[in-house]
Amino acid sequence: MAQFHLEMKVNGKPIALDIDPGLRLLDVLRDILHLTGTKEGCGEGECGACSVILDDELVDSCLILAPQAHGRGVITIEGLALNGELDPYQQAFLEVGAVQCGYCTPGMILAARVLLNHNPKPSKQDIAKAISGNLCRCTGYAKIVQGIEIAASLKETKAGVSRA
Amino acid sequence: MKKRGYGIANMWYGIGNTANPNPSGAFVDFLDDGTAIVLTGCADIGQGSSTVLAQIAAETLGICVEDVVIVSADTEVTPDAGASSASRQTYVSGNAVRLAAENVRNQVIAIAAELLNIPTETVSLSQGEIWNSDKSSGMSIKEIINKCRSKGILTLGHGSYNPVTTELDPETGQGIPYATYAFATQVSEIEVDTETGIVEVKQIVAAHDVGTAINPQNVEGQIEGGCAMGIGYALLEEVILKDGEIQNPGMSTYLIPTALDVPEIHTIIIEESEISGPYGAKGVGEPALVPTAAAIANAVADALGIRMYELPLTPEKIIAAIKNRKEVEAI
Repeated sequence: MAQFHLEMKVNGKPIALDIDPGLRLLDVLRDILHLTGTKEGCGEGECGACSVILDDELVDSCLILAPQAHGRGVITIEGLALNGELDPYQQAFLEVGAVQCGYCTPGMILAARVLLNHNPKPSKQDIAKAISGNLCRCTGYAKIVQGIEIAASLKETKAGVSRA
Repeated sequence: MKKRGYGIANMWYGIGNTANPNPSGAFVDFLDDGTAIVLTGCADIGQGSSTVLAQIAAETLGICVEDVVIVSADTEVTPDAGASSASRQTYVSGNAVRLAAENVRNQVIAIAAELLNIPTETVSLSQGEIWNSDKSSGMSIKEIINKCRSKGILTLGHGSYNPVTTELDPETGQGIPYATYAFATQVSEIEVDTETGIVEVKQIVAAHDVGTAINPQNVEGQIEGGCAMGIGYALLEEVILKDGEIQNPGMSTYLIPTALDVPEIHTIIIEESEISGPYGAKGVGEPALVPTAAAIANAVADALGIRMYELPLTPEKIIAAIKNRKEVEAI
């Protein structure tokens, strides 16, 4: 099969690759770029574990063909910490104990980030709605919602990469 | 019409495997720099066992939890600690780690007593220092471990623990299947829509006797997660089988609760120290889930005056039950 020349920004860094055009964005992130923070859960767009930010939007990277990301910017969980310092979302999750098995965590944090970009003062209900496409089987969501509330309340959000 | 109801459910649940041996082992290496490595077969699958085991080792050795490294669930190097199941790891592996750490601690205490020329009974380890009765001797644990090294002594410890149980009598079913039990009560408030049959859980209060809560934040997390899973069990989750084949093998057909389905969960931790547990701890993993569906089903019965006997309480079943009652009443 003819290779597709993919150019995109991942966590602010320009990437150029020749890939099989049938690859999913998830495959490129995990298997080629080795950004394994993005998890594959169901692989059919139902669980949200593979969520990444594509431009300004939260997407399931298992449902996006890699060529669809051509010319666009992707943020993965690896793009949040800056010089080894956790960003406020990660820090808040850690402090309130929002992480158990951790499989949903990258998607949850990226979903929170998209929410807070659009709605800096979300209500509990806004938060629950924003993460309702990201399933968690461990936490009962209580501490995840609490972590997002804390992240939202931090006035100075030192984001690692604000835009891809 | 929306009808509100309240339900309560109580449970007790045995910690560890039922009437069967289920031992855990642990190794502790107290290093020259005053930090410790704990080897345990215990798999942390998100419940926080590595955190709790580090806390238990740190408490026993008198050092900071940050100075404990847990090497876990690696059959190449770690001793067997059984499965992360049966709500057993804090209790069983926690005891193994405690015993292994006590084993090392006794060696350090013996050397410290000899060097300080005081009886071993008055020596303890705390805050990285050697204590004589309730006063710090001013000597650090690190110094004692270095003294051990200069004498050619390695400070290694091992421990294992198996809950004390008996087999069950095959005739009567009697015996002691568990060494200890967890207890809990949960109360749920629900609202059921009599037009749509949809049940909304408004809040859950969950009171759990966990022995000593070694890590209260993790205990809360376990309870909140258990309640969410219980809501799924009560209202959503059903494996549909046809000719041995699962008909709903996806997250869009086998529904689990999302953040929109889980209400405020008020956790109440009851700390009743368990004498056989590590620092008084028992377990909370499964108990968190056990009473939730019963509390919700009781609340639905309270709201509708109809007792339903089959989970999950789907809108279809609730509408059918309401309709059935109307027909019965009409006769």
